[in-house]
Amino acid sequence: MFVLENISKSFGDLQVLKPTNVEFSVGKSTVLIGPSGCGKSTMLRVLVGLIQPDTGTVRFEGEAMTSQTLMAMRRRMGYVIQDGGLFPHLTAFENVSLMAKHLGWDIPARQSRVTELADLTRLPSAALKRYPAQMSGGQRQRVGIMRALMLDPPVLLFDEPMGALDPLVRFDLQEDLLKIIRTLNKTSIMVTHDMGEAGFFGDQVMMLAEGEIVQQGTLDELIHHPANDYVTRFINAQRIPHV
Amino acid sequence: MYKRNTEMTQRTSLATPCMLFLTTRWMLILLATIAINVVAAGRGLSQSKSSNQPVLKIGSKAFTESVVLGELLSHLGRDAGARVDHLSELGGTQILWNALQSGEIDAYIDYTGTIQEEILADAARRGAHVETESEMREELAKRNILMSERIGFNNTYALGMREDVAARLAIRKISDLKNHPELEYGLSDEFMERRDGWNQLASRYGIKTRRIRTMDHNLGYRGLVHDAIQVTDVYTTDAEIQYYKLRVLEDDLQFFPTYYAVLLMRADLQTRAPEVANALLKIQGLIDPVKMSGMTAMVRLDGKNETYVAGDFLNTKLLMQLELPSNTLWAEWRRIADRLLKTTLEHLFLVAVSLTLAILVAIPLGIISARNERVANVLLGVVSVIQTLPSMALLVFMIPLFGLGAVPAIAALFFYSLLPIVRNTYAGLRQIPVATRESAEVLGLDSRSQLRMVELPLALPSILSGIKTAAVINVGTATIGALIGAGGYGAPILTGIRLSSIPLILQGAIPAAAMAVLAQWAFGKLEKKLVSPGLQPQS
Repeated sequence: MFVLENISKSFGDLQVLKPTNVEFSVGKSTVLIGPSGCGKSTMLRVLVGLIQPDTGTVRFEGEAMTSQTLMAMRRRMGYVIQDGGLFPHLTAFENVSLMAKHLGWDIPARQSRVTELADLTRLPSAALKRYPAQMSGGQRQRVGIMRALMLDPPVLLFDEPMGALDPLVRFDLQEDLLKIIRTLNKTSIMVTHDMGEAGFFGDQVMMLAEGEIVQQGTLDELIHHPANDYVTRFINAQRIPHV
Repeated sequence: MYKRNTEMTQRTSLATPCMLFLTTRWMLILLATIAINVVAAGRGLSQSKSSNQPVLKIGSKAFTESVVLGELLSHLGRDAGARVDHLSELGGTQILWNALQSGEIDAYIDYTGTIQEEILADAARRGAHVETESEMREELAKRNILMSERIGFNNTYALGMREDVAARLAIRKISDLKNHPELEYGLSDEFMERRDGWNQLASRYGIKTRRIRTMDHNLGYRGLVHDAIQVTDVYTTDAEIQYYKLRVLEDDLQFFPTYYAVLLMRADLQTRAPEVANALLKIQGLIDPVKMSGMTAMVRLDGKNETYVAGDFLNTKLLMQLELPSNTLWAEWRRIADRLLKTTLEHLFLVAVSLTLAILVAIPLGIISARNERVANVLLGVVSVIQTLPSMALLVFMIPLFGLGAVPAIAALFFYSLLPIVRNTYAGLRQIPVATRESAEVLGLDSRSQLRMVELPLALPSILSGIKTAAVINVGTATIGALIGAGGYGAPILTGIRLSSIPLILQGAIPAAAMAVLAQWAFGKLEKKLVSPGLQPQS
């Protein structure tokens, strides 16, 4: 799906991504994890073209990402950020269908697709008429996911999608999201700093530190065969409630 | 010889724009000066005939005598078959003189002292002899301007005091003022700034003063009456001299030049419409000083309008049979209603056109600024500087570019409206959260669509409030358009200042305030309608 060839990025003197080669394969769920500043968000933003790497090439579905190809490529990616990144001046329906409308879909086509997605994400249909300010955080996040899915892209990218939600809402949404990804058989790449979430979603977990991939593998492999002490410390730093 | 002269002074200020920034006096002068006399300008004497009818454009300065003479010329021209346009109460000699040279007006009345001291001052500096009237006439002819023989009165500057005060202090001549440094002076802005004005007068006579206040010429009389000041500058034909029983101090050192009124007319009028040009020349030798101050008194003190007074004079003096505007109460109400309608339409026109143009230009400028910080610094800097120019100065800068009337006023208002809209467009776009902008980008929208579908709708409340601010500023500022013949609510305000008529001032001020409030309200409604409910406070 994505191939990163020799990608690096610096902001000023700080190299946030050291030269990196990595591949994200079709149909797999990958979770990027690591502490703040490790480069995981930068990597995701390179994938959607929000950050131009200093060196190297991003290939999406075999084709090099350039300013000419980027726009068409983005229509084949679904991108979800914290709190949904919705447009406050549009209703949920308008948010979800904005791009389809821009591409010339007629109203019935838009409506039936949005209804289908509302069912899939378990968004109450009454919420479709609401503006973001009138919705709960969980609803906004579901609408954000619907918007990402609208054009049925083969890949979904999540940047800390659950970051703004309280635990119960988060728990339900995680369940639903995993089901959606599995059902639709999407490739997904998610950035999180929550180990539990990483294990829940990721076929493979990619741990980064200081701009480098420290280890990639299943969560099991990271726990039982850590590449170094850092991986162990990061995993053990997650506090689990004792009952 | 007599003391002073009329208001040729303002040209000095106009000629040196840097002064504009320095003097608020200027504003007062111009305000006082203006007021397009819509009433006078051909009410009831509407003139539209065949297209080959000659057009005559008359100008006048913003004091009553000049407006009356302008009306008199209008009557003469109309009687000779011309379609007459009287641009009355223009903001100063420089404006009139430039308008005459450029052909925006064909004729107006000026004064020999003014011609010598102001209009031909440059020629004199370059060595031309303009001491006598025939020398002036010759010099003006080189500029294709014809100067008539004297009209018959000398309206010069003088210093005036209340008769009782002057008698008590035994002041008869200007030199007597030397002995009374305790007197307070209220002098007009023009008089303060003229080459033959106060500074030279004071040094010639050796007058020491404790305090000088500058004020509008017409307010000086009020100040005298209330004893707030004891000495003011007057024009020798002012009706108020008799009315307020003033003593005109003798110019014992013969400081003031003479200011004989003469007609200045474009030479081409004689070839274009000889019968009209000849009709205007009938004004030569027509008016003696008593008649002139009598006519001014009828306007200023009896409340007659200038059209009536000038026509009445011509009917008596030349046995003409001009149709005069009626003086009944009903006719007066009609005139008020007509004026309200006319000034409202003019004002709306100025505001609507300038604001529309400003919106069309300022929003794109705001968008460009929001996309490039360096451009933003330059653009916002430039429009901010424009905003800091006094509106009067900005207006005057437009005259060389656009002449007189609505166009320069619209241009000035346009520049004045830019800043609030540019700034608010910029700010409205800049305040959009990065995540929201990126969400639009990542959807795969091109940048134009991002702007149209996401950024502008989100910035709309800010943009609209910028437009609202611009509209309110614009409605208020448009009143000064009257200074250069653009009409609008400024016209009755400025005429009202000239005639010390509160009712006239209110006829401009109240509708202007109402229009500002209405604009505010209308934009509020528009905001409710245009801005997405998602961006409005939840009820």
